[in-house]
Amino acid sequence: MVQPLSAQAIYVILLREVKLYVRARARIVASVAQSFFFLAIFGLGLGGFIGRFGGLNYLSYLAPGIIGMGLLFGSVFSGVSVVFDRQFGFLKEMLIAPVSRTSIILGKIMGGAVTASIQGVILMTVAGLMGAFTPTLALVAGALAAIGVMLLITTGFVGLGVAIGSKITDFHAFQLIATFVMWPLFMLSGVFFPIDVAPFPLQVAMFFDPLFYGVELLRGCLLGAATPLLGPLGWLIALGVLVGFSAAMVVIGTYLFSRAQV
Amino acid sequence: MLLTKDERNKDGTLERGMAGAENDMIAENSTKHAHIIEVKGLTKVFDNGVRAVDGISFTVEEGEILGFLGPNGAGKTTTLNMLATLLRPTSGTATVNGYDILREPDGVRRSIGFVFQDPTLDNELTGRENLDFHGRIYGLKQDVRQQRINEMLEVVQLADRADNPVKTYSGGMKRRLEIARGLLHYPRVLFLDEPTLGLDPQTRRAIWERIERLNEDQNITIILTTHYTEEADHLCDRIQIIDLGKIVALDTPDRLKARLEGDVVSLTFKDQAAIAKIRPVFEGKDWIRRIDTVEGENGQATVSHMMQTMGGVPGGGSLGAMMPGMSPGGMMPGAGSSYAGGRGKMPPRVQQMQAQGLGGESSQLGGSGGPKRLNLLVDDGGHRIPEIVKLVDTVGVVLESVELHKPTLDDVFLSVTGRNIRDERGSFMESIRRRRIIQEARSQVRG
Repeated sequence: MVQPLSAQAIYVILLREVKLYVRARARIVASVAQSFFFLAIFGLGLGGFIGRFGGLNYLSYLAPGIIGMGLLFGSVFSGVSVVFDRQFGFLKEMLIAPVSRTSIILGKIMGGAVTASIQGVILMTVAGLMGAFTPTLALVAGALAAIGVMLLITTGFVGLGVAIGSKITDFHAFQLIATFVMWPLFMLSGVFFPIDVAPFPLQVAMFFDPLFYGVELLRGCLLGAATPLLGPLGWLIALGVLVGFSAAMVVIGTYLFSRAQV
Repeated sequence: MLLTKDERNKDGTLERGMAGAENDMIAENSTKHAHIIEVKGLTKVFDNGVRAVDGISFTVEEGEILGFLGPNGAGKTTTLNMLATLLRPTSGTATVNGYDILREPDGVRRSIGFVFQDPTLDNELTGRENLDFHGRIYGLKQDVRQQRINEMLEVVQLADRADNPVKTYSGGMKRRLEIARGLLHYPRVLFLDEPTLGLDPQTRRAIWERIERLNEDQNITIILTTHYTEEADHLCDRIQIIDLGKIVALDTPDRLKARLEGDVVSLTFKDQAAIAKIRPVFEGKDWIRRIDTVEGENGQATVSHMMQTMGGVPGGGSLGAMMPGMSPGGMMPGAGSSYAGGRGKMPPRVQQMQAQGLGGESSQLGGSGGPKRLNLLVDDGGHRIPEIVKLVDTVGVVLESVELHKPTLDDVFLSVTGRNIRDERGSFMESIRRRRIIQEARSQVRG
């Protein structure tokens, strides 16, 4: 069934997501503080023990992964918030409007991607201020490219969140998802250690983690090509995996949402 | 008629998006002499096998206020959801403002406003932002949107609180905001699902007045569901009594009540055994035209019971005195006094409940199972009471109380369904859900 899209509807739902994000100051503060602790305690503390790998100090190595963490949690949460919309009734207000469900969910996904990426930009700034990146002209271009990568990563994970949110009906299930979906995705993304030091089974698991490719790309953008894995071809592969993942998640999320009962 | 409908269908499916406004105009013309809503054999069977709506058919005239009256679980909300294209019927169909609910859902959605039973506002946004969201998603242009938002905020008297977050609103304010939102895109038909559920009598009256004014000033057709008989009686041009998914009566309130000509003498006994003894005696008297055993007061402490009794707030008079401005025309009487305002249709039964307060009904809740009340329909009830009491004495059972009233919609409901409307049918979870709505509505300030 072809559902006509309404740019106006997508825009207004996106606008609502941004408004709600900006207003939820506690959430922003908590998330930024959490990332700051990771960077400060792991980056400086553990970093002093580990020293450098691949010409990077540990704080620099860690920063793109911590940004990835913020993107992951922010975007999955944003997608899962369709559960809140349903619980608090606002979903009905959207569904009764003369626009297709596809427009509604695309607005929701784009809104989630934009807000989670805003979060990512904040974290990138914090990490930069802590001295994680070398301030050069190339960094400016890299940061802009990183924002593009962020939007791509978050689109996929909001889609995943929407798919999950369309299937679960209460908040308790969300705990399980955090433990069994979000934490493994985060830990396996190569945030704490490079893939080449991991034992083989862990390497396989990391290759199946879409966030791994996202973090590698962010590392490439923000730290130059000094990443252990990605050569010129690796860039393309990582980008291709992310595009495929995001497209698939948007389609699955949209499909499950349009089938969900109010 | 059939031809124009077909033509429009073609239009609607071919060029949906921009042709919307044009379609509306065509629809208005073509429905001028037709029914704004036509329902044919609408049926909904849920996955769990529950036949919530069972082949109902009816029509609604433009400008009418039609009420669906029935207990919880009767199928009222399911019917509304199908008409609003939120739920797909199992079989049957309907047109709303000339649009088919199956083939032209967007046309239907543009034609209707919907005020849901559960709150559907975004609590984090302000009142104005909630309206702005609605205006945008319905495609209203910036200037039109601003002008209508201000207009609607005036209509529901929320202009001074418009820029506060909705989470700071009282239950009544939220309901008013939802009504304003439902009207923002100038719908031809407004659906109101239990518009005053859980609201206090003052707010309820105020909302009734809004609904009436909208209907009169803008000729908006209004379909509302309620399980408050006094609400249906007060507001509706016609009432459709729904029970177990079927329409059991459809008529004006006055004609429905006229079906029960005379007076209702209501007798409460100590236990069920007394009823078993006395009923045959009454059945032998030809001047008693009808005998109904009142069900649903057999110890189920239901939400509906609580609400009905709480609706007649103990000391309603003092509330009225506290908030004179809230009471339209100062019509809220003190407990026990008579209704003088409104359309003068407030049934005496409400007064009784207010006079009795919570105690009156709850005292019956814990009793031994089974019905303990009989309603007798007689001519000239006042003069028959001594005779009835004498009959009861002769049989030798204990009579606890006698009440006399003109037939109300409660009595009509009882006579057509054989059950009391306050007899809950919904599941346990449903009653929890409703209790939450009621609490929400009652909360003055949240979060």
